[in-house]
Amino acid sequence: MIKITELQKYYRTEEVETIALNKLSIDVKEGEFVAIMGPSGCGKSTLLNILGLLDDPDGGSYLFNGIEVADFNERKRADLRKHNIGFVFQSFNLIDELTVFENVELPLIYTGVPASERVARVEKVLDKMQIMHRRNHYPQQLSGGQQQRVAVARAVVNNPKLILADEPTGNLDSSNGNEVMELLTDLNEQGTTIIMVTHSEHDARYSHRIIRLLDGQTVMENIMI
Amino acid sequence: MIRNYIKTAFRAFTNNKAYSFLNIFGLAIGIACATLIFLWVEGEVNFDSVNAKKDRLYICRENEKYDSYVLTHSSTPGVMGPAIKAELPGVANVCRTSEDPASLLFSVGNKSVFVSGKYAEASIFSMFTLPFVQGNATSAFAQLRSLVITEKTAKKFFSDYKNVVGKSIRVGNKTDYIISGVIKDLPSNSTLQFEWLMPFKLFYDNSPWLWKWSNYSLSTYVELKPGVNPETINKQLYNYIQRREPTAIGHTFLFSMNDWHLRDSFKDGKMTGGGQIEYIRLFTIIAWIILFIACINFMNLATARSEKRAREVGVRKVLGAEKKSLILQFIAESMFMAFMAAVAAVIIVLLALPAFNTLVRKQLTIGLNNPYHILGLLVITVTCGLIAGSYPSLYLSSFNPIAVLKGLKLKSSGASFVRKGLVVVQFSVSIILIICTVIVYQQIQHVKSRELGFNKNNLIEMNLQGQMSANFNAIKQDLINTGYVENVALSDHAIIYGGNNTNGMAWDGKPPGSTVLISQRYVTPEFFETSGLRVLEGRNLAVTDTGRPIRMLVTKSIEKLMGKGSAVGKTMHYEGDTTKATIVGVVNDYVYGNMYNKPDPVMFFITPPKNAAVMYVRTKEQKDIEKTLTAIQAVMKKDNPAYPFDYRFVDEQFNQMFLSEMLVSKLSRVFAALAILISCLGLFGLAAYTAERRNKEIGIRKVLGASVSSVTALLSKDFLQLVVLSCLVAFPIAYWTMFSWLKGYQYHIKIQWEVFIIAGIAGILIALATISFQSIKAALANPVKSLRSE
Repeated sequence: MIKITELQKYYRTEEVETIALNKLSIDVKEGEFVAIMGPSGCGKSTLLNILGLLDDPDGGSYLFNGIEVADFNERKRADLRKHNIGFVFQSFNLIDELTVFENVELPLIYTGVPASERVARVEKVLDKMQIMHRRNHYPQQLSGGQQQRVAVARAVVNNPKLILADEPTGNLDSSNGNEVMELLTDLNEQGTTIIMVTHSEHDARYSHRIIRLLDGQTVMENIMI
Repeated sequence: MIRNYIKTAFRAFTNNKAYSFLNIFGLAIGIACATLIFLWVEGEVNFDSVNAKKDRLYICRENEKYDSYVLTHSSTPGVMGPAIKAELPGVANVCRTSEDPASLLFSVGNKSVFVSGKYAEASIFSMFTLPFVQGNATSAFAQLRSLVITEKTAKKFFSDYKNVVGKSIRVGNKTDYIISGVIKDLPSNSTLQFEWLMPFKLFYDNSPWLWKWSNYSLSTYVELKPGVNPETINKQLYNYIQRREPTAIGHTFLFSMNDWHLRDSFKDGKMTGGGQIEYIRLFTIIAWIILFIACINFMNLATARSEKRAREVGVRKVLGAEKKSLILQFIAESMFMAFMAAVAAVIIVLLALPAFNTLVRKQLTIGLNNPYHILGLLVITVTCGLIAGSYPSLYLSSFNPIAVLKGLKLKSSGASFVRKGLVVVQFSVSIILIICTVIVYQQIQHVKSRELGFNKNNLIEMNLQGQMSANFNAIKQDLINTGYVENVALSDHAIIYGGNNTNGMAWDGKPPGSTVLISQRYVTPEFFETSGLRVLEGRNLAVTDTGRPIRMLVTKSIEKLMGKGSAVGKTMHYEGDTTKATIVGVVNDYVYGNMYNKPDPVMFFITPPKNAAVMYVRTKEQKDIEKTLTAIQAVMKKDNPAYPFDYRFVDEQFNQMFLSEMLVSKLSRVFAALAILISCLGLFGLAAYTAERRNKEIGIRKVLGASVSSVTALLSKDFLQLVVLSCLVAFPIAYWTMFSWLKGYQYHIKIQWEVFIIAGIAGILIALATISFQSIKAALANPVKSLRSE
């Protein structure tokens, strides 16, 4: 599903050039659950941003479902992103002014799903995430675990082929963290490809494969059995 | 999608009440100001629009060339109207009227009131739109002693005012006139103003001087046939009078009704493009500037609180929002604010309109049932929404989602620069308005307090009515005997306005070809002492000066025209007439007509009371005015019992001459104050956000020992620098603007540098007062809280 080849990314200031990704090559197959680990500054988040089409690489190739997307313009990237990729963030990133229902509905609005269909799909996913009873609440009225469930619901409501999760349990206690990981595992079992950046060995064990990065390069891959 | 935008906008609005209030209140004041100005502009632009034939109606004007200038006026020969109607094929109709409205005593039963009106030809009813509510245009002037009155006049005299045709009104206590028609009251935005009309023949047949081509004493209105180019007629009119009267210097031209109110300003015989239209342009610009200032608040506050919106932008982008849709979202938010502000503005306008109407002396209505008003309000609102939302939408939608979702500090130097620039724009405009307001006020006061050459205070003017001429000596003595009056005099013209003049005076040594316009006044000997004019050389006129040889007094400027030495003893005569008038005295120059111009030359002749038109009463300065008026009224009742006591104060007439300027002065004061208020609202909001953003810095500084005053100074410094910069921007613009404005007046002030210093200090103090609340609040906050929250 994802094939990146010799991907490069530099960050330049007036005085220093930092290599974030150094000719990194990774393949992720459809239906895989991949964890990316490594110390701070190793390029995990940069990789996730490029995979999520939020950032441009400076070199190399990125094939998404066989299509070269590295040189897509912003409009094309936004289009591909909203139809194919869901995001889960460490800090949830829900919009405070919108209710739970409306937050989850947002990706459907951007993909042009009719209002009548949106209601059914949002309710279905909220039900699945066991957060339906909070549908009219605002994010500030929810616990961290509940907020992350809403964030996951929002990420999956469009039935994306790929979910990118950036330390999804980083702001949660272990109990809520485990719940979120169970949710992601369920989604993966239903066919969604998941790439997750994490510092947690515990969370990483939910994945099929762990890719360890250092200085923008793969240093090790562990297949989980 | 749109619903989502509105929902987000509404919740952002309710979640940030203070911010929303500042935005909406500022914008509402801006829209309300603009609406009031545009209502006034509409009234001005639609002046005379009541006339269906407005585009084809003209008044004849004359250009007369003198030595140093061209005089443009509307006085035409009495015989010209019928001639041009008969001879010029493009002319559909012509109407002659008396020039200045005549104030005649109308009496019905015991009720006697002076009413103002005109003598006009019957064509006035077909040329101008004057709807009859009783009677009709065809028969209105069928009889000579007929009278058409307005509804207002009918109500003044008759309880059964809906049925007055055929009833009579006694005019001037002498003759009965039959009411032949009643027309609707003329709207205030009509140049033509009268309360009655009488057949022109009554006036014309009794005024033989009007029958000459050399006398200019009437107004002539012309209606052109459809499609006729006025320039074609103007070419035919240029030497029209000269062909009949070779010595005439007046060249006739048509002045369109479309321009009467707006562009009545001439120089060198040509329209300057100025006039009331200049004020309309000025206030239209001010309206848009005020709206822009209000929009700046929205832009500044929106970008200042961008950090609060950054995460939302990031999330929306991650979820697939394109830049275009985010721009739309933020434009939708500003539109939402603008519509809320528009609703508030309508309420403000409804509340402020009565006071505004008093200020501008109009009867404006918001007219929400008028589709053009709704459209106008919509245009203002949408324009505000677009302007206010433009920069914030571009700025906020350009956020990098990675950076904002990581919570990285936004690089806001560009936005900060723009924000500071916009604050400078706001305060520059405010300071310019302060300076202009002060200078306009100074100029008006300068002219109002200028030495006129006569004493306008404690001077009462009355039209000569009934037995006043015949009983003049008795009235004068009785008035002096009251102890409230110093002196009484008669004149053929009001002292403060223009009157008869001539370009036909000659004297020994006058340069050949020289043409000088000299005013002539016929007065009684008491006139100079009563008015306060001083005889500088020679002697005053005497009652015995009525016979031959003719004796006259001249003003100082005539003495200068006549060459070196005293004018006393020199003679003047009309060109082509050998009869000479000897100058027996010289009086000081005095200002009349246009108070901004230099005094024009005047010559005075003695007149018997029967030929005078107005009486002047000089009252004693220290006396109570109410008692003085009561005493004068008692004398008038005794010596002229058939007429009501009708009087005017000359100083009030003088003040009336500054209505336009006073209006500009008052409006500029009001709108300058509102522009400053709006700017301060924005500054207040910005100061609040700055204090919030620098919360941690303030905490650290306080922990390290900074005092409240030093923190306050720190927070205030940046803003004050912007205000100082605003002064540097505002000063040259204000100077140039006011310099250009003052150039239009012959008699004007010199711009003083102190005004700029005062305006600058005022700007700084206003800004300091605005930001000090937030600065002191931030400086007094407990540093532990701000540091803990980090």
